[in-house]
Amino acid sequence: MSSQYIIRRLLIMIPVLFGVSLIIFTIVRVLPGDPAVVLAGPHATKDVVEQVRIQLGLDKHPVTQYVIFLKNIFRGDLGTSSRTGLPVTQEIMARFPNTLLLALASILVATVLGVLTGIIAGVKQNSKFDYLSMLVALFGISMPVFWLGLMLMLLFSIQLGWFPAVGADSFKHLVLPAITLGANSTAIIARMTRSSMLEVIRLDYIRTARAKGLTEKLVIWRHALKNALIPVVTVIGLQTGTLLGGAVLTEIVFAWPGIGRLLVESILSRDYPVIQGVVLLVATLFIFINLIVDIIYSFLDPRIRYH
Amino acid sequence: MGNKMKRKGFLGMIILVAFGFFFFLLLGVVEDPAAQTKPAEKVKPVAAKPKPKVAQKLIVASGTDALTMDTHFGLDAPTFTILDHMVESLLELTPKGEIVPRLAEKWEVSSDATEFTLKLRKGIKFHDDTPFNAEAVKVNFDRLLDPKVAIRYRFLVAPISTVSVVDDYTLKIKTKAPFAALLSNLTHQATAIQSPTSLKASWDKAVAKPIGTGPFIFKEWVPGNKFVMARNDQYWGKKALLEEVTWRVIPDDASRVVALETGEVHVAVRIPPFDIPRLKANPKLTVLDAASVRTIYLGFNCLKEPFNDKRVRQAINYAVNKEAIVKHVLGGVGRVSDAAISPGIFGYTPIKTYEYNIEKAKALLAEAGFPKGFETTLHPAVGRYYMDASVCTAVAADLLKVGIKAEIKMMEWGTYLPSILREKDQVEHKIYMLGWGCVTGDADYGLYTLFHSGEWPKKGMNASFFKNEKLDQILDAARSTANPEERKKLYKEALTIIHDEAPWLFLHSEVQMVGVQKNVKGIIVHPTERVIAKEAWIE
Repeated sequence: MSSQYIIRRLLIMIPVLFGVSLIIFTIVRVLPGDPAVVLAGPHATKDVVEQVRIQLGLDKHPVTQYVIFLKNIFRGDLGTSSRTGLPVTQEIMARFPNTLLLALASILVATVLGVLTGIIAGVKQNSKFDYLSMLVALFGISMPVFWLGLMLMLLFSIQLGWFPAVGADSFKHLVLPAITLGANSTAIIARMTRSSMLEVIRLDYIRTARAKGLTEKLVIWRHALKNALIPVVTVIGLQTGTLLGGAVLTEIVFAWPGIGRLLVESILSRDYPVIQGVVLLVATLFIFINLIVDIIYSFLDPRIRYH
Repeated sequence: MGNKMKRKGFLGMIILVAFGFFFFLLLGVVEDPAAQTKPAEKVKPVAAKPKPKVAQKLIVASGTDALTMDTHFGLDAPTFTILDHMVESLLELTPKGEIVPRLAEKWEVSSDATEFTLKLRKGIKFHDDTPFNAEAVKVNFDRLLDPKVAIRYRFLVAPISTVSVVDDYTLKIKTKAPFAALLSNLTHQATAIQSPTSLKASWDKAVAKPIGTGPFIFKEWVPGNKFVMARNDQYWGKKALLEEVTWRVIPDDASRVVALETGEVHVAVRIPPFDIPRLKANPKLTVLDAASVRTIYLGFNCLKEPFNDKRVRQAINYAVNKEAIVKHVLGGVGRVSDAAISPGIFGYTPIKTYEYNIEKAKALLAEAGFPKGFETTLHPAVGRYYMDASVCTAVAADLLKVGIKAEIKMMEWGTYLPSILREKDQVEHKIYMLGWGCVTGDADYGLYTLFHSGEWPKKGMNASFFKNEKLDQILDAARSTANPEERKKLYKEALTIIHDEAPWLFLHSEVQMVGVQKNVKGIIVHPTERVIAKEAWIE
């Protein structure tokens, strides 16, 4: 791992983000629907609609619009939301910390639970625990989050009254959405860890380790796990990226003010600047997470070297 | 040692990456310091009020957030609901549909409805201490009428030609043509009066916080999450009992109900009908219902065959079982329309409902030359009105019984609305769905732009491209007289023509269901789809 490599990866980001910006800029404009009409509302007269169009800068040529958009990005200005009139950065910053918190909490839940379950299930293959945990994992993958979310609310908010059902004001508010959102990832990580573990513990070097007389604990935790984790890290990385992009359904069910909801709302109201801003942010996050995953690889497996 | 170094390097990398990542975000944050919501000016403690035992902090759950802090730029009921508590209009529309004084104390209208004199209340200050007077109101009208400012509801005041200050507290408004509905339009929240100081600083852009004269003062807005307002202890009228009201955004219907059941919120709007029996059985809760002025209809494109034939339009009105739709699709939360506008609106008179009669429908279709029906398309609104798409499915099922095969073409709202509001040569729709909230409480608002032939898109909302000269004359005449009795008579005539000509399939008006904790008193559910907490308190 060289720092040159990382710098190069960071530099590659520039053309990638450039491409992303061009694609998203084009897509939102190809979508059917006229933002000026939607934003002016059903009651507006023709000249008001035209006035809105001018205000949004949509009367200009698309190329000019794109150049202005790029120029502003370099100034750190993502534009103004056409729906609310607030700066896009403010709209995003009002929600992104919530998304970050929820994503990190659920990925924490998912990693701890998923990896532990996966290891035990893998080591004790075909045991009752194995069957049971994989059955639960199957549920975890199949359950729609809005259903799971409402069920958790029913039990923990209405019946037991332990956790609040909606909002994002305190740590208590985080518990139910994090579990709901983490359930799916937990299941995926558990199944991944299990199969990876099964593969690794059949390898020769594990037999060697056992032949050396090492305790089973040492064999599993020091020798097997490190190798078994490589594919798991990829999955965790991908899941984190997805969760950071916002979890629309969970955010809606728990009234969690995150960027997923912001994105959907802005798509529905054809709020071009916000759509572009959110997508750019999410793309940036994805690239960073991929980089981090690659770095963790080389840490887990010293044979992996990037040049 | 080497290993340790490597690990340190690794940690360094992670930190570096994390920093880079936050730097991107920070770029934007520093940009606009005024944008972050700020706490309101400190509210002085109340002196001589009897202290209530419970904290007077009310939480209302709404389905969507406010879209702007500037009432002149407002577009939808949730935004107006919140802003109404802080920014007041000149006149007020009571839930019963009467126009009563608010910031204007008295008014006079010339008999030809072209000159309106308003006497303003004295001794009022805006939340920023700017005095309220005729000059301040004029600044508001100047902005509402400025063509450079994109006021969504401009048409409310568009007929105005001049606004002049007579003295400190008297204002004279003249209109280009007779416009009797102006008084009703001045009850609309989009014409409410904001502090001229804040307007001048943000003329063609939305103000960042609402500064009006109302009983509550802006405290905090966290977009997508909550909006907090605090009591205005300097309020000119009856001071609020609540210290604070928080409007919390809970988009999911089921979650909003849960939050009400767990006691996390005091009030929840738009309760799904199938949850109502359960909430009513809960000893801690009650459900308020109030008719809405929103009328839901399917409009026919009267320029396209076969809908250019009145008999076909009437036949469809006979073929659809409106009662069954209200009962089964809406769970009873609705009222079958008996006119193109709803009760509670000035000018409403019950005309008639086309009864459900398949035979009559078939006979009319045969007369029009379609004994076996025909094929057509139906464009529902999706996710805009209560159960909208399901209502359209029910309509299509009924139409099938008289041989009309209506293919349902769904579009989401952002695509749908612009496609409906195209000019006559460009539209594709044959049957479209819309709901019209007649929120000024005057029939002019509910009929003129929807049925007058001068209001075809893109100018107005007559997306049925309906044209009837007699009706045009009546609607114009009703604008030109200030005599309420005369206007009522004219609107009755207009509604009768509309009923007979049937440019719409008349469906229903919505009923708002609002869930409230039993210890919360004084909540008003207004027919214009607003929840008013100004005089509410918690026991």
